[in-house]
Amino acid sequence: MAQEQNKTERSEQTPVIELRHVDKHYGSLHVLKDVNLSVQKGEVVVIIGPSGSGKSTLCRTINRMETIDAGEILIDGEHLPEEGKKLAQLRSEVGMVFQSFNLFAHKTILDNVTIGPREVLHTPKKEAQEEALRLLKRVGVDTQAHKVPAQLSGGQQQRVAIARTLAMHPKAILFDEPTSALDPEMIGEVLDVITELAKEGMTMVIVTHEMNFARRVADRIIFVDHGVILEENTPEAFFTQPKTQRARDFLNTLKGRDK
Amino acid sequence: MSAANVTIRDALYEAPGPKTKKRIRFFTVVSLVVLAALIFLIIRQFYVTGQLDAKYWSLFTRLTTWKFLAGGLAGTLKVALVSSVVSFAIAFLMMVGRISKNKIVSWISTALIELSRGIPTLLFIYFFFLVAPQLGLKLPTFWKITLPVALSAAGVVAEVLRSGVNAVPKGQTEAAVALGMRDATVFTKIVFPQAFRYVIPSLISELVIVLKDTTFAYVVSYADLMQNARVLISNYDALLSVYLVTALIYILINYLLNKASVAVARHRSAVPGATK
Repeated sequence: MAQEQNKTERSEQTPVIELRHVDKHYGSLHVLKDVNLSVQKGEVVVIIGPSGSGKSTLCRTINRMETIDAGEILIDGEHLPEEGKKLAQLRSEVGMVFQSFNLFAHKTILDNVTIGPREVLHTPKKEAQEEALRLLKRVGVDTQAHKVPAQLSGGQQQRVAIARTLAMHPKAILFDEPTSALDPEMIGEVLDVITELAKEGMTMVIVTHEMNFARRVADRIIFVDHGVILEENTPEAFFTQPKTQRARDFLNTLKGRDK
Repeated sequence: MSAANVTIRDALYEAPGPKTKKRIRFFTVVSLVVLAALIFLIIRQFYVTGQLDAKYWSLFTRLTTWKFLAGGLAGTLKVALVSSVVSFAIAFLMMVGRISKNKIVSWISTALIELSRGIPTLLFIYFFFLVAPQLGLKLPTFWKITLPVALSAAGVVAEVLRSGVNAVPKGQTEAAVALGMRDATVFTKIVFPQAFRYVIPSLISELVIVLKDTTFAYVVSYADLMQNARVLISNYDALLSVYLVTALIYILINYLLNKASVAVARHRSAVPGATK
């Protein structure tokens, strides 16, 4: 179809994720102020900022885990509606990995990975299971396939969460502080999986406090404070010569904390 | 007693020291003595008033008596089982209605739940026994007891289910929604199965209440355990012995139900399910 072709052609330049003039309030608190952001195919955008800056909220608006008051959000050129079938469909195309893993507590690891394809994409059971096992192997938890989430470590659970997201063949994945709930010794194993995805060209938006990881994996750093995108830069430029005073202050506090 | 009690005691009190241990021993002995005295008094009173005479107890040597009671017990279990199933179905609908995003549906469901919780079982029974026939609704005796018991329990069960739904962490819904699941799928595949596991022990407790409510069957002359016990009493003129045996049967069943509830609760916390 001409229209289809038009769409694929267009997607070469159309951002996978685009936010236009997004505003959000929590009561009197203005958490996102005229946020504009576009993420190209294959790009890894890392959002950093002090706690309470709105970075998590920003990430969560992209698949409407948080509603917005004004502005628009486009996924691969398509408007993200407020409700209904279309919203669900667009959500299924954008993966999300949460801070607290949120694996389905009553399902086995294998079922956690197959339930999305089974229920949403209507993939046949056998096919879904084969792919799930492949993905679990890829993130290194295939031997745990028949356990339940509570029996796994945090790091393992988060890797399963990533596999669950990958099973949907998403156009992009959102990571909302994926390592903030982990014990220090488990952070590395999760970041390794994400780094691997970045190398393979997955489009990703990552909210994180891990600065070394951000520097290593990001194509672009977004610095957010008080609901405003203050700075957008390459990791090199951002970490060596931040443009704004607030970014400098933020990086200095981190340095002071680290060593 | 149950495992749950032990953990609660452990959580509330520190381990007893030597003085406390001595005190505990003292009060244990005192209460045992008092208990023994009470039991002695009761039995003596039975003896004095002739309640222990063979004529009151010989009926229990006959197989027919037990068969009759077993028939009653079967009736009791049938009413309890069907009431529970009907009650659960109604409760589920009212709960789904109450958490509905539609304000009117939610309001109506809340009102129905409050009605069900607020009206005594006996009033429901009188309605189906005395009022409904006048309105042209003539039900078989079985339903005259089963429906009221079910309706009376449904409100509580609905609220128990709702508390389970509320206890499921929000992250579970978010993860499901993020995968692209629609509301109905999220509820039936993710939220409700977990909610149900949370509330199994409470549901079994409610089963005990349903079972006790079935004793109202005598009002509509349905042959349950209680009704058959009353028949035995009037036939043999043996009030105390029959009531004692009947009470023991009820205690036994409810004890087993409670045991099952504890076992289920322990199984649930031991294996999967309830984290985060």
